[in-house]
Amino acid sequence: MFLQKSKTKKSKMDWVFFGVVAILLAIGTISIFSSVVALPNQLKIVRTHLLALPIAFTAFFVMWNFNYQIFQDQWKIVYSVMIIALVGVLFFGIADKGAQSWFRLPFFSVQPSEFVRIGLILVMANYLDKNIGKIKEFSTVLGVLFISAPIFFLLIKQPDFSAIMTMLPIVLVMLFCAGARLFHIFLIMGFAFITVLLPILWTMIDLNPELMQNSFINFFYGLSRVNWHLAAVFVILIFLGYALWFIFSEFYRNISKIYFIGIVAVITLGLFSGIAVKKQMKHYQQKRLEVFLSPNTDPKGAGYNLIQAQVAIGSGGLMGKGVFSGTQAKLGFVPERHTDFILAVIGEEMGFVGMILVMGLYVFLMRRVVNTAYMAKDRFGYLVNSGIFGMFLVYFSVNFGMLLGLNPVAGVPLPLLSYGGSNLVSTMIAIGITQSIYSRRFALT
Amino acid sequence: MIEKQLSHNRLNFLKISVYFLSFLFVLKIVNLQILRHDHYKGVAERNKTKIISQTASRGRIFTKDKVLVAGSRPSFSLVYFPIGGISAQYAEYLAGSLSKYLDVSLEEIKKKLFLAVKRGTPVRIAENLSDHSMFLISELKTVYQGINIITEARRFYPKNSFLSHLIGYIGKISPGEWKYLRNDKNYSMDSYIGKTGVEKRFEKELKGKDGGVYLEVDSKGRLMQILEGKKSVRGSNIYLTIDSKVQVAAEEGLRATGSGSGAVVAVNPRNGAILAFASLPDFDLNAFVRRAGANGNLKNIKEFNYATQGTFPPASTFKIIVAAAALETGKIDLKEKIFCPGYFDAGSRVFKCWKKEGHGLTDFYEGMTHSCDVYYYNIGIRTGPLNIEKYAKIFRLGVPTGINMPHEKSGNVFGPSRRAKKKSYWFIGDTLNLSIGQGEMLVTPVQMAQVIAAVANKGKFWQPYYIDEVVNLKGYKTFESKPKLLSNINLKKSTWIHLRESLKKVVLQGTGYSARIKGADVYGKTGTAQNPHGEDHAWFVAFAQIDDNPSEIAVCVLVEHGEHGSSAAAPIARRVIEAALRHKLTKPPVRRQVAGQ
Repeated sequence: MFLQKSKTKKSKMDWVFFGVVAILLAIGTISIFSSVVALPNQLKIVRTHLLALPIAFTAFFVMWNFNYQIFQDQWKIVYSVMIIALVGVLFFGIADKGAQSWFRLPFFSVQPSEFVRIGLILVMANYLDKNIGKIKEFSTVLGVLFISAPIFFLLIKQPDFSAIMTMLPIVLVMLFCAGARLFHIFLIMGFAFITVLLPILWTMIDLNPELMQNSFINFFYGLSRVNWHLAAVFVILIFLGYALWFIFSEFYRNISKIYFIGIVAVITLGLFSGIAVKKQMKHYQQKRLEVFLSPNTDPKGAGYNLIQAQVAIGSGGLMGKGVFSGTQAKLGFVPERHTDFILAVIGEEMGFVGMILVMGLYVFLMRRVVNTAYMAKDRFGYLVNSGIFGMFLVYFSVNFGMLLGLNPVAGVPLPLLSYGGSNLVSTMIAIGITQSIYSRRFALT
Repeated sequence: MIEKQLSHNRLNFLKISVYFLSFLFVLKIVNLQILRHDHYKGVAERNKTKIISQTASRGRIFTKDKVLVAGSRPSFSLVYFPIGGISAQYAEYLAGSLSKYLDVSLEEIKKKLFLAVKRGTPVRIAENLSDHSMFLISELKTVYQGINIITEARRFYPKNSFLSHLIGYIGKISPGEWKYLRNDKNYSMDSYIGKTGVEKRFEKELKGKDGGVYLEVDSKGRLMQILEGKKSVRGSNIYLTIDSKVQVAAEEGLRATGSGSGAVVAVNPRNGAILAFASLPDFDLNAFVRRAGANGNLKNIKEFNYATQGTFPPASTFKIIVAAAALETGKIDLKEKIFCPGYFDAGSRVFKCWKKEGHGLTDFYEGMTHSCDVYYYNIGIRTGPLNIEKYAKIFRLGVPTGINMPHEKSGNVFGPSRRAKKKSYWFIGDTLNLSIGQGEMLVTPVQMAQVIAAVANKGKFWQPYYIDEVVNLKGYKTFESKPKLLSNINLKKSTWIHLRESLKKVVLQGTGYSARIKGADVYGKTGTAQNPHGEDHAWFVAFAQIDDNPSEIAVCVLVEHGEHGSSAAAPIARRVIEAALRHKLTKPPVRRQVAGQ
């Protein structure tokens, strides 16, 4: 079904899709302006946003006009630029909120990790496209990890946990859509799960030191530091894996060893990376984890933010308090109101109607991305669109889930609505690529 | 083929899961924005509005002649709004910055900041800011989060120490008082409350109703705008029975004495209303409401109230009661003259008269006029100590007057029956001491004022009172003192006549000479209470009468270490009486200069 490269022609873009994007941008712009009214640096924010908008649209049109297939041809350049940018930011970047993740430019700052996200989608799509024949093999999955490992490592060095939190699911979604074995995906998820879960559990023990009286918990907490505990755990794990295999193979003769080796390896690796994450965690990130675990214990502390965001949304009611008339956000009860908590502003000022509208538009946008994936002329286009869909899916679920108190405050913006020049431009680049795929869906015949 | 490999179904599965996810979110949004909207709306309202109570203006206190003795004036308080918590670092920084402008210590400020956060209510960090620090802080409040300045009414005593023992003072509510008042919505933990005197006794009436201001504040606790204010209601005004002119005369008179300590109590014998109530040393009432830190000298304040708490031997003023007892029991003959050689031989011991050379032959009138001790030794023995003790009690010594002041002393009546209760002996020397009011007999100036007032009105003992009326904001009287007759003693008419005539002579010819007033008849008796520890205390009790009109002024003066009643106490009594009768005394005609002469 997929056709040869270069034998494509460009058609009209998906104007409905573009319209939805434009409406979201308009709502976002109004909300940003409304939310920053009382901020001391409001002029700077408004100026930067107004500067980012034309840049974003330019990027969108440039990407739309580019044949997206060039990214597949030149994936090495894309990958190199990503790595160089991430290494460069460690040396020449400036720090904000404890993470060194910004390039300072004359008029604004650029966050390379936002663009790396798009690059990762492109590079991954290329790799999966090339290896689609061996997609069921574990070596392919390892290759995916091999490609993304340097990026994750560099992001941990910053450390930008929210970027990792959004990129890992994108990789998983792409693997899933490319048709990788579910077991392999589960292994990666298990690894990621252990990596995330261990620091959470350790933090929980930090919060409740009385738990340490239990010798098992004390032992478990001891694992957070590299010591002899670890060796014992490895021995036990390997023995358990072997024992399980031995028992299972008695009943199922042709069961593969790989399952048991995989599980043991994932637990081991997860343990290591969990320790690494715990060590890398900055104070404010630790705090956010604590809030996730017990949002109501300290209403004036970190959990305060989440509660106040909910209060803002709840107080909006059906029709909202009217644009520019919200009090929760304006008086500063909602933190990061123009970025991560922009939904609180929308919920407060535009009410239930605004919330449902924004959500509907977002769902429609994702639906269109999926449709475009099906329409794509080649497998690369399909995979790229899956990745972009995965990106929106992550932003959507984390943001709405965060505001509704379903998952922790992760510092993830809502693209097209939140303030943030780099995020806006990179999102428009992604949408431009989607449109490029959409416009070139027909073969040149 | 490839299509299948790519598993289009998987992307479709994700797409459908988005719909499921959205459905969950919609449910949650409905719950937040529709079902629980009212709850969250309330929370948002409470978030942005903070109420700060504003102390109501305390009721004013006036004297009978409408002179303001306790009022209110605006003062500025520094308030901290505890919103969004406070870090130890910020508290340190804030306290450090503020302590430069305030008289409050750094630790104190920090303590208050954390208290505010703990309680979640605004707390006054400093009150009664000086103009200078208020100016500096209002400049800085944009920089410091949660800091605001509010205006409040503050107690102010325009005449400083004037009438201080009677008015009393206010102070911060104590933990003990808070225990009783915590359920009273009108009080908070940093309220001021009357501690002594009228301020304490009429606390409820004076307090008024505190108002409040609803403020819109941002998350940092900075004041955005004032939403609405609940007006505070001023407390009721109190009118005292005190006459400011009489009070001034009393205070100045006492102040002019050598020791500068003592008491003057002037009452109206017709109803017991107190016209002057002076006790020295007094204190500056404003010291208690000055801004924190500036009142380091509070410890030096002497709250001892000589008028109700000071107990002294009545000395020769007691001779009034001895004479009354003698006359009433008929144990003396008025015409009989007793020889005073300057001493009285009681056998085991010789008792002296205050005049060494003696008074010679002395009859009743001369005995009183010159306060001859030897005459009263004889009279006392004849009348008998039991009778004297009985009349001391009839004249309400040894019991509190019920003036309604805290810790009023009852004094001590001493006599054979009291001695018998203690299973001790009574000697003749005791009778002699009793006859001239020395020894164990102890009275307070208020009691003596009551005694002399009873002589003035021929036997009526009124309960002394100092509140005339309480008038609330709308002008209605919510309280009005009614004179209370404690007892009415029925002595023979002749007793009163002789007693009063003798007292008149004391002033006209005798020891009370310096108390005489042109245009009025002054009846008085001096006293000099022996003090083994230092100079004697001077007494003078008197009342005045114009023609045959009922007396309107009775006064008791005690000058601690004043030595002689005639020289130290009597002139004060004269000034007080003159002030009290200033409208009734006929002024000497002004000499007119006729042109051409």
